[in-house]
Amino acid sequence: MTSYRLNQGGLVDRATTLDFTFDGRSFTGHAGDTLASALLANGQRLVGRSFKYHRPRGILTAGAAEPNALMTIGSGGRTEPNTRATMQELYAGLEAVSQNRWPSLDRDVGALNSLLSPFLGAGFYYKTFMWPAAFWEKLYEPFIRKAAGLGRATYEADPDAYEKVWAHCDLLVVGSGPAGLSSALTAGRAGLRVILADEHHALGGSLLSETAVIDGVSAPEFSARCVEELRSLPNVRLLPRTTVLGWFDSNVFGALERVQKHVAVPAANRPVERFWRIAAKHAILATGAEERPLVFGGNDTPGVMTATAMRSYLNRFGVAPGKKVAIFTTNNSGYALGSDLESAGVALTAIIDSRADGPAYSGQARIIRNAVVTDAFGGKSLTSIRIKHDGRFETMDVDALGMSGGFSPVIHLALHRGGKAQWSDERAAFLAPDDLKGIALAGSVTGAGNIAESVAQGSTQAAGLASMMGKSAAAMSASVEGEMENRPSRPLWFIPDVIGKAFVDFQNDVHRADLKLAAQEGYGHVELAKRYTTNGMATDQGKLSNVNAIGLLAQARGLSPAEVGTTTFRPFYTPVSFGALSGASKGKHFQPVRKSPLHDWAAKHGAVFVDTGLWYRSAWFPREGETAWRESVDREVLNVRSNAGLCDVSMLGKIEITGRDATTFVDRVYANGFAKLPVGKARYGLMLREDGMIYDDGTTSRLGENRYYMTTTTAYAAPVMSHLEFCAQALWPELDVRLASVTDQWAQMAIAGPKARTILQGIVDEDISEAAFGFLAAREVSLFGGKLTGMLFRISFSGELAYEIAVPAGYGESVADALMALGEPHGICAYGVEALGVMRVEKGFITHSEINGTVTPADVGLGKMVSRTKQDFIGKQMLSREGLSHPSRLRLAGVMPLDPAHTFKGGAHILSKGAEATLENDQGYVTSYAWSPTLQSPIALALIVNGPDRHGEEVVVWNGLLNEFTPARICDPVFFDPANEKLHA
Amino acid sequence: MPDLIHRPALTKEPLVGERIRLAPMPEGTLLEVRGPQAELPALEAAADAAGLVIRTNGPDQWFAISGQPMLRLDLPDIFSVTDQSHGRVRIAMEGAAVDDVLAKGMAVDLFDFKIGAATTALIGHITTHIARLDRDRFELTVLRSFAESLWHDLETMSAEFLDR
Amino acid sequence: MASLITCPHCGQRPKEEFAIKGAALARPAPDAPQGEWYDYVFLRTNPRGRYEEYWHHVSGCRRWLVVTRDTASHAVEDCRDAAERAPT
Repeated sequence: MTSYRLNQGGLVDRATTLDFTFDGRSFTGHAGDTLASALLANGQRLVGRSFKYHRPRGILTAGAAEPNALMTIGSGGRTEPNTRATMQELYAGLEAVSQNRWPSLDRDVGALNSLLSPFLGAGFYYKTFMWPAAFWEKLYEPFIRKAAGLGRATYEADPDAYEKVWAHCDLLVVGSGPAGLSSALTAGRAGLRVILADEHHALGGSLLSETAVIDGVSAPEFSARCVEELRSLPNVRLLPRTTVLGWFDSNVFGALERVQKHVAVPAANRPVERFWRIAAKHAILATGAEERPLVFGGNDTPGVMTATAMRSYLNRFGVAPGKKVAIFTTNNSGYALGSDLESAGVALTAIIDSRADGPAYSGQARIIRNAVVTDAFGGKSLTSIRIKHDGRFETMDVDALGMSGGFSPVIHLALHRGGKAQWSDERAAFLAPDDLKGIALAGSVTGAGNIAESVAQGSTQAAGLASMMGKSAAAMSASVEGEMENRPSRPLWFIPDVIGKAFVDFQNDVHRADLKLAAQEGYGHVELAKRYTTNGMATDQGKLSNVNAIGLLAQARGLSPAEVGTTTFRPFYTPVSFGALSGASKGKHFQPVRKSPLHDWAAKHGAVFVDTGLWYRSAWFPREGETAWRESVDREVLNVRSNAGLCDVSMLGKIEITGRDATTFVDRVYANGFAKLPVGKARYGLMLREDGMIYDDGTTSRLGENRYYMTTTTAYAAPVMSHLEFCAQALWPELDVRLASVTDQWAQMAIAGPKARTILQGIVDEDISEAAFGFLAAREVSLFGGKLTGMLFRISFSGELAYEIAVPAGYGESVADALMALGEPHGICAYGVEALGVMRVEKGFITHSEINGTVTPADVGLGKMVSRTKQDFIGKQMLSREGLSHPSRLRLAGVMPLDPAHTFKGGAHILSKGAEATLENDQGYVTSYAWSPTLQSPIALALIVNGPDRHGEEVVVWNGLLNEFTPARICDPVFFDPANEKLHA
Repeated sequence: MPDLIHRPALTKEPLVGERIRLAPMPEGTLLEVRGPQAELPALEAAADAAGLVIRTNGPDQWFAISGQPMLRLDLPDIFSVTDQSHGRVRIAMEGAAVDDVLAKGMAVDLFDFKIGAATTALIGHITTHIARLDRDRFELTVLRSFAESLWHDLETMSAEFLDR
Repeated sequence: MASLITCPHCGQRPKEEFAIKGAALARPAPDAPQGEWYDYVFLRTNPRGRYEEYWHHVSGCRRWLVVTRDTASHAVEDCRDAAERAPT
């Protein structure tokens, strides 16, 4: 027991006691504690084992940069590894488990790695696991995989909800310390729409750990008053527990709000995390500065922490770091801590200052100037330190050590859009570039040294923005007493006479010698050194270590930190859960579902549905006794061919084209002619891309002089609509043409089969005999004795006598019901997209299986359709390319196995009989395959070299995946009723 | 002759919370109108006479809407009118939290979105036409086939404000 | 790529509402030499800097737009309706 809770002081609510467990042991803390402060209050110093050497590690910081105190929180699907104890708010029932140790934190077998440390230095992966090559897969990789990583993710589903939300503001303030509060207040008072975000659960930032007096009240009280006023302003939104973690194009910021990460069982109707996308006209980063550790031997011993963290635990949480404390500092930060420790009655042995000229100090502690700590000892808990001063070594018994290597402004966000950090010799820190647009910086992130300066800076920045936006703002200032002004430190990268391992990157176990080795071996460039040593990787991304590493590399290479430079800063600032990134888009919300107006009709007929893009399409309709899908499909096909069937085709794209120039427009977007299409007729149309390949096909009907009803394939409904809009708006804006997507307005069904007309006549008021409503007739019809108007099209995708009827969607089910009832005596059946597909293959009709972006109209036997007289249409010019009419192109043909008992699959390749399966011998491939119940044989469509000229030729269909060779014959792609007799039955 | 029954796309009970209420609106008349912006006054006059309300839907395009079915809009030839009464479904969303709920799916800054304003935007993954009918009341118009999915999304977005 | 695009008709919208077609090139006349057609269909520059593209406000007003943006800085210089502007 070393650290402990003081009897008084701090901002925790001592009246509220919270029970929690760590590694199964029970502890208590108070409301307002973090997990880290509660552990320290209970004297729990050892909180984890390091990544590579499994060294005992303690809490190093009190914030987001924590590299050591990573824990697994929660259980079951709520298990969350690598949670920083310093950021985790304590709640009753919290279960925390330490990581990277076995069998226990106290006795850890992996610590043997320390003995192997000579072999585990920088680049050891590259050196150790090089040979023999055969060992890699069997031995090295499994070993590395097992050893790598920190916490373990759960395999259980996350039961909690997440969401994403947009926000808009004039000013986003990041950080709620003195500069952040003054920015938000100044802008808020001026009437700007302000969002103030802070990653901690309590707003106030560094003020919560400060003992100075501001405007006559304590710093936390000053902060509370500011927050209270902000809360009263309707134009200000406060976002505590919210980490702004990325700055993106257009001044959009990403932020993660931990809505319910501080309760044991989150309320089910609220998200646990909320991902904000904040479109800010402007932002002020008041993100503060991170204190750097010092790089001496054993600087990772539990009990050693940064001075700022120690001060925060002391002042904010009422936790003393130990019973005999020392401070090692390069700047004034250590003196502020020293003074607070002594005021709280904690024994301070010494302040060890690397400088000759520290400030005056009025406390009892011994001040040792021009001195360094070379080593800390104690293993699992600090017991002593070794000091060098005046050329002598001195050992001092202490159980806690605060250290301060200077401050690194938290400039990460300012660099997310490609800016480069600038080294300042004066500040001994990397600063944000000064040509930033859309964001400004205020407070210690700029290097500001005291509270009053931070308050003034924040207020000035905000007032400037307010006046830019036409609002007047009053500047804010604060009078501060009792603050230890923080002057820039003199960097102390390299400490001489160190005995033990001196850590630079605690999380990745990178120590000083690793960086030296990297420089020696030619990996001294900052980006190379990062990869070679792993410095700056993993969950903390080098928040504490990068600048120290740069300093050491600079020293090793004889350069300045400015010349070494930094690695690239990228979003996110801290890790983000996958849950938050996916938001509500999971399960049934992963993507929307589109339902046909005939969905319920299909469902009540027992449809099996298949995903087609976002649509649910009825695939087949199994009947009692049918066990395999093909039984249903075969029955449906045969029934349509002998009686009749009804199929839902509502998901076809439907576009209404109107306007004075509608005809010209339709004529230009199709390759075949439409100008002479009479009103009341439908025509099959081929739409090309500008490169001459087929884009889509469908029928378009002329319903009026300037009114067309176009259908597209289901898959290309949206792309075709966009394409037409492009043609109308960007290519030919001079044409008067209007496009409306009416896909959802109409329930459309195909009624096919010899009895289709008889059944349909039962609901259509007009005469639809062959004479009155011949093939390709298309017009509005009156239905149900004038109760409904629909559209009727005499088109066929099955080769049968067939119609498509479109009715207003809300009546779709009722009309389908009526047709099924009328058709019952005629043997009508519902058929699905599978039977539809079989019948179209039997008839050699193409779909996007054939229209795969490589085929021209001629390739699929439709070359004659292409207009030779039109001056222009999309695709005309490139279609005339010589190569596109070469006979050796892959062209459409049919393929059937010689033995109907043999099968093959779509995608299988065609080989000449006796030819080896090589690329050179490839003769094409199968695009569509089906079992034809009509022909009692497998049939297929294929794109084959010279296909149309090879009907009758025996070939081999080769499936390379299954290594199957099926003897087959090339044939006409129209397998059934080539004379189209049934169409006109 | 068999009976003709109209089936609404969305058969949902209203969702109710103190600060949010969500309900399908009657499937009446919804006409998509295209024409020159300059002729808007003529369109508005004709719509008014026909008992239809005009909502803007981008340049040169409007919806003419009513809760009553089968309304007709007679316009000169410079306009194109397409019946979408069955192709679109309207959902009413209202309550003090309505702006906050919509922000969960939509990037439109509702601060500047005045009463009477209308636009088309993405809510989650679904394109939706939104109109602010009152300070705390919106009409959401969506393609019929997406109506159920949008409803589910709105329900999720509203969850924290619903009485459950 | 920009996170927000200011549609001339709808105002500031997120990029998710748009689809990008690519370079905003002028379609040659039907009787233009085939070389011009080859360039139009197949030839693209890939500049570092200013670039004009066709964007479609698919989940908004459904207008085609010409967006002028900087491929390096991602700054959007201009965004206008495609019908109002012959591409350059």
